[in-house]
Amino acid sequence: MSIPYIMDNATSFAAPRTEPAGQRILVLGLGNDILCDDAIGLRVVREVRRRLRPDEEIEVEETEEMGLCLLDYISGYRGLVLVDSIQRGTLPAGEIHEIRADDLRTLSYSAPHFLGIGETLALGRELGLPMPDMIRILAIEVEEPHLLSTEMTPPLQRALPDLVQRVLTTARGLAEQR
Amino acid sequence: MEQAVKDVFNQGAARANAAYQMGRRRFTVEPITRLEGHGKIDIFLDDKGDVERAYMQVPELRGFEVFSIGRPAEDMPQITSRICGVCPTAHHMASVKCLDDLYKVEPTSPGRKIRELVYNGFLFEDHALHVFVLGGPDFIVGPEAPPAERNIVGVIGKVGLEAGKRVITMRRRVRELTAYFGGKVVHPVLGLPGGVSKPLDPADLPKFKQLAKDAVEFAEWTVDVLKKIVLGNPEYVKMITSDAYTHKTCYMGMVDEQNRLNFYDGKLRVVDCNGKEICKFTPHEYRDYVAEHVEPWSYMKFTFLKPRGWMDFVEGPDTSVYSVAPLARLNAADGLGTPKAQAALEEFFKALGGKPVHHTLANHLARAIEMIFAAERMEQLVNDPEITSPDVRRIPTSVPKEGIGVVEAPRGTLFHHYQTDERGLITMANLIVATQNNAARIAMSVERAAKGLIKGGKVTEGLLNKVEMAFRAYDPCLGCATHSLPGHLPLSVNIYDRDRTLVRRLEQP
Repeated sequence: MSIPYIMDNATSFAAPRTEPAGQRILVLGLGNDILCDDAIGLRVVREVRRRLRPDEEIEVEETEEMGLCLLDYISGYRGLVLVDSIQRGTLPAGEIHEIRADDLRTLSYSAPHFLGIGETLALGRELGLPMPDMIRILAIEVEEPHLLSTEMTPPLQRALPDLVQRVLTTARGLAEQR
Repeated sequence: MEQAVKDVFNQGAARANAAYQMGRRRFTVEPITRLEGHGKIDIFLDDKGDVERAYMQVPELRGFEVFSIGRPAEDMPQITSRICGVCPTAHHMASVKCLDDLYKVEPTSPGRKIRELVYNGFLFEDHALHVFVLGGPDFIVGPEAPPAERNIVGVIGKVGLEAGKRVITMRRRVRELTAYFGGKVVHPVLGLPGGVSKPLDPADLPKFKQLAKDAVEFAEWTVDVLKKIVLGNPEYVKMITSDAYTHKTCYMGMVDEQNRLNFYDGKLRVVDCNGKEICKFTPHEYRDYVAEHVEPWSYMKFTFLKPRGWMDFVEGPDTSVYSVAPLARLNAADGLGTPKAQAALEEFFKALGGKPVHHTLANHLARAIEMIFAAERMEQLVNDPEITSPDVRRIPTSVPKEGIGVVEAPRGTLFHHYQTDERGLITMANLIVATQNNAARIAMSVERAAKGLIKGGKVTEGLLNKVEMAFRAYDPCLGCATHSLPGHLPLSVNIYDRDRTLVRRLEQP
């Protein structure tokens, strides 16, 4: 039985940034490496990172964290492309729901545990932190996010190249907007 | 398992399940929809339109044991800390303690102290998040406030912008402590069997001393805020102490030699609803004291006190239902070993009618008191001369076989139990997580809230919020580590009439 070594793709877990990121765009991948399709956000941004040219004003981060901690990642950037998974059942697995930041329940009182992205952005603004003005949220429909596995389901594996391209295009689009 | 064997097994299980359902003549609740990670509560009414039973279901991780088998035991602190994005450090620490036990190696004293320092920092930070961000809307803003204000921005509106910034900054500084030792915040690579991976450089000590000092002050301020806003408001006190949010169950928590609370190590002590000790056991004895009960309507296994046997979801002096988490810990221990936390604890029991306190919503206050305790422990540890010793690890030499590790996670007692072959490859892995230890009492709370709010088929407005408040106090870990948007767990309530026809569905807007 071959067992993939789970630390192969260990993420950087950068410390909260202390200096301003200025004019840069952040591509932030969210997910969990060992929860089957929930890894998609991480897999996509790793590939995006590989494909970026050094002179592009785009940075790539990935994290398994959520909620409030995301403030540390996103504050200071001019633009944000967030890549995450979603399970809504309205699109085939591997397709993207593009969610406008305004459409996220910006403030919800229904969260028993988490602080959603919308709340996090609202909180950052309330606290006077520099929050990105341009936000694109690409939520990838997944098939299986609750099974412990280091391998994604076939539809997600097949979709990976297109997803990478879509994220790259989105991030470059933001970088060009002045 | 071979596929054919698996199929036969599954068919058999399905038949047995169907027979069981028929035998019980109970309505079969559809498996939870995992779309967008909904938590679901099903409420069944009787002839009169009153609540017969209410059930709560949440999505659950699958495949943990299969995933673990065959992997080196040393991977487990990394794997288990990754299964939960909410309390990774708790899993990491329980797992590392399990490895100590597996390899029969006692960590060096400085190694143990560093673990405790990081662990108390984690508890402090996690509790702070809950008090202000997750539970805050219920109490600091208030349960009757308009929905649009019941969120973190509303909390900041109430405690002030400066205080809000203080909350965020304090959390960040404590997280830097974890990152210092663990290399990263969310899934630290800190513990190794026999100790930790990195000593504390004496040059870095002053900043951690300052951090611990500030943490104590911050925690005391937090308790003051809650005291003023919550205990100072007779309406809140009435709600906290109301029957709707009160259950007389047993309580479990980890204690040291003097029966004082310890998050990191010790024996597990259980007291009954009168505060009398029922049992005290070592992690190795847990299977003699904790057993799991299965209900047909839930994936969740409900733990109960094994010596008493499963007696259904009942309360009182003889019940086998116990709970964990902050309130349970304060009830189960004889006290806290640090002066400021002890003073706050005494005041807490005095304000709520003596020990033990059975009011679920008092968990929020108990959490704040534990913040003082965690901060004071940090202060004790950073002022311990041994904390900068380079002797942080003892190399294990034994052949591994079986290990059990237990810690008090923010949400309650967490058990890790592994068996390996002689090469240290996992052959069995079992976890009992905090929310499982609380599951029976959470189910009781949800049902109680439903019974109080639905009479004669009439649903009182605000049902959803009141039910949510009941389980939010436990801070149950429902969401596992999936991040799927929208980033929080929406809850839906389905109400069925006596014919089991869906008559109403409530969801948060």
